[in-house]
Amino acid sequence: MNYEFDEILDTIKMTEIEHFDIRTVTLGISLRDCVDRNLEVSKQKVYDKIIKYGKNHVKFAKEVEDRYGISIANKRISITPISIPFDSFNRYEFIEMAKTLDKAAEDVGVDYLAGFSALVQKGFTKGERELIEAIPFALAETKRICSSINVGSTKAGINMDAVLKVAELIKKTAELTKDQDSIGCAKFVVFTNVPEDNPFVAGAFHGVTEPEVVLNVGISGPGVVLDAIKSVGGADLQTLSEVIKKTIFKITRAGELIGREVAAKHGIPFGIVDISLAPTPAEGDSIGDILKAMGVEDVGAHGTTAALAMLNDAVKKAGLMASSSVGGLSGAFIPVSEDQGMIDAVKRGNLSIEKLEAMTSVCSVGLDMIAVPGDTPASTLAGIIADEAAIGLINDKTTAVRVIPAYGKKVGDVVDYGGLLGLAPVMAVREISSANFVNRGGKIPAPTRSLTN
Amino acid sequence: MKISEEELRKITLTAINELGDKASPELVRNIVSSAVDKLGAETELPKTENSVIVDRAILTSFGLNRPGVIARISNLLADAGCDLRDVSQKIMDDFYTLIMIVDLASSKYQLKELSERLEKVASEMNVKIFLQHENLFRQMHRI
Repeated sequence: MNYEFDEILDTIKMTEIEHFDIRTVTLGISLRDCVDRNLEVSKQKVYDKIIKYGKNHVKFAKEVEDRYGISIANKRISITPISIPFDSFNRYEFIEMAKTLDKAAEDVGVDYLAGFSALVQKGFTKGERELIEAIPFALAETKRICSSINVGSTKAGINMDAVLKVAELIKKTAELTKDQDSIGCAKFVVFTNVPEDNPFVAGAFHGVTEPEVVLNVGISGPGVVLDAIKSVGGADLQTLSEVIKKTIFKITRAGELIGREVAAKHGIPFGIVDISLAPTPAEGDSIGDILKAMGVEDVGAHGTTAALAMLNDAVKKAGLMASSSVGGLSGAFIPVSEDQGMIDAVKRGNLSIEKLEAMTSVCSVGLDMIAVPGDTPASTLAGIIADEAAIGLINDKTTAVRVIPAYGKKVGDVVDYGGLLGLAPVMAVREISSANFVNRGGKIPAPTRSLTN
Repeated sequence: MKISEEELRKITLTAINELGDKASPELVRNIVSSAVDKLGAETELPKTENSVIVDRAILTSFGLNRPGVIARISNLLADAGCDLRDVSQKIMDDFYTLIMIVDLASSKYQLKELSERLEKVASEMNVKIFLQHENLFRQMHRI
């Protein structure tokens, strides 16, 4: 036999018992050729293009699922940051475009379409200012649209005016969607050093450096990694690191195979594998549990940051070996509401925003799916965003904030979205003010390390 | 088969002419796009990195060891025209694990349909049967 008995059973175990699945296949579509003087024609061009490339997306994914017996949990679409081709729009036109995008997503059968976005790290264009005003309404009036704004980069610095505007945008979105636990905020991310090929919503978009259309795959597998860690018992950290690497290698290979086949069916280029360990609320699918298996009593104990750093690094190393096309975020995600282990740690009082902020300096996302009291002032939100942006700025990594100031709720309450977005207990923020600092506006300049020429 | 813009325009004009009074934008659009879909090429088997078309699947089965389980699976595969390239099994007390490498090249059925037929056997005999294309295992377990 070409394969060892155990290798085959290993694969079966991953898919059947350890919840290994492909987290998403995301079809990236360029909308750069959809501009027209007439709004209705623009909308029609955008709709037609998404249908043209996307109409078989769900079907092709299903065919590949059947061939390999591995489930692809989500099929999604990402588009060119909408502010770029449509910079001449006013806010009302952006809102109309959001509704067209929502309809296209519905007709193609995907649950999210991401890219209602802008990159403003060096300043705003007219269209970008209008987009920022439109986003709260667009998120409130659509179901499937996800949005993001990039406010900083190591090369450009941090646009603090944008940070302030985004903080107000988040508050407005929370208010407009207050009847659904401020769900609009769960579909909006503010970034620093955003990657242009990330397949995971809500922060996905199809960057302007990407080709006409591309297929990116996001894999995951916390359950698989958890079992691997449990199997080594009390071994030393190097042994643990090796076990994690070997597991991630297999997962990455599987993910790339599936991604390439879906792309081949579409007849389009394959883009990248994003090898992020992304949790879901399902049992056994938690990064929090992985950290506890590594030895901390609960997420938030001293040592959590070190454990996460090792985990994140092992994931990246294995991914690099397994595939030549690694991209996106590629690391460990720590979204609070989407991870039962994290939710429990917050409820027990062991995990605070400050600890989460420290953890974001060594893993790939940021302060993700965190609910804070509804009366948190915009200036405090701006302070939280600025802190995350600074971590990304100085360390030349991506950081992000997806925070939900849950309208009408306070510490002790929860926001519950059901499904993949999960449940988040409202976390406390510092009540002392950041206003005088953030209200200065202007830019935090690019750091020394940006001068790489 | 690729259809050029010019050909598409001609097809659309022909459809409009044929429909005459009944032609509406929506009706024409539906007819032309379903015709284009029907004319579309069949999806080809994806080639491996070595440009060799490999069409083998790995069948894994396990459960309580009862007489006839392995016979039923083998018969189903034989009836379908599949070639068995390798068979390996372990029986431990009451449980069996069976792994087969199955060549689908001359199979009557596609992998998906074969899988559904095996699923029927699995539920009747209360065992598990998985059928997955070989590429997955090759990618995961070989550098």
